[in-house]
Amino acid sequence: MSMFRAKKFDLGCYTNIQIIRDHSKRKAFEAAEPERQALRYIIRNTTLPARTRAIAQLQLTQMHCYTRPTQIRNRCILGGKGRGILSDFKMSRFNFRLQALAGNLPGVKKASW
Amino acid sequence: MSIPRARLLDLMRARCELFATTFNPEGLRTGNKILRQRLKGPALASYYPRKRVTFGQFQKAFAPLELEVEDEKEQDRLEHIAALKARGKGAPKKRKEQQKNKKK
Repeated sequence: MSMFRAKKFDLGCYTNIQIIRDHSKRKAFEAAEPERQALRYIIRNTTLPARTRAIAQLQLTQMHCYTRPTQIRNRCILGGKGRGILSDFKMSRFNFRLQALAGNLPGVKKASW
Repeated sequence: MSIPRARLLDLMRARCELFATTFNPEGLRTGNKILRQRLKGPALASYYPRKRVTFGQFQKAFAPLELEVEDEKEQDRLEHIAALKARGKGAPKKRKEQQKNKKK
């Protein structure tokens, strides 16, 4: 959804449309997080009237899907791949291997015993 | 030797006051655990590295010192376009305003 996209390109890593999309989802979630948490609190609070809680449930489900944390997926910052990501390094497994063998990742070395 | 419930509740209330916890003897679900959660938006939004300095800014920073920095990528691109145009394979020119009005 282009309305969530940054007006000025602001990424410094490898970019493709999937990465731009994921990045805008992250920013949309960050902006909407307090509202989401407030609604979640109202829903979970059993001391509030049932009507208020039902309205809060509706509002939460009607928020844009880009503001949902489950839409966010870690992607490789070197190749944009969405699967096989080592989240500690933000890289796909193959890019991680290449970088580690090239000695670009401090403290990482090939196991041998 | 059973202790009355009221006395136990008093003890609980005193304990809650001491340790600054909420007094909720019925165990009602008040949703406070949502309020206790930390916001994870900033951590998630900073996943991808942001663009810091562009080549243009870099060139501008060195301009007052009268140092010229060549943007090799940009030069390659312009050369490529020039070569295409020389062969007559370049991008077509933008159509003018008049033609636009005619089509409408």
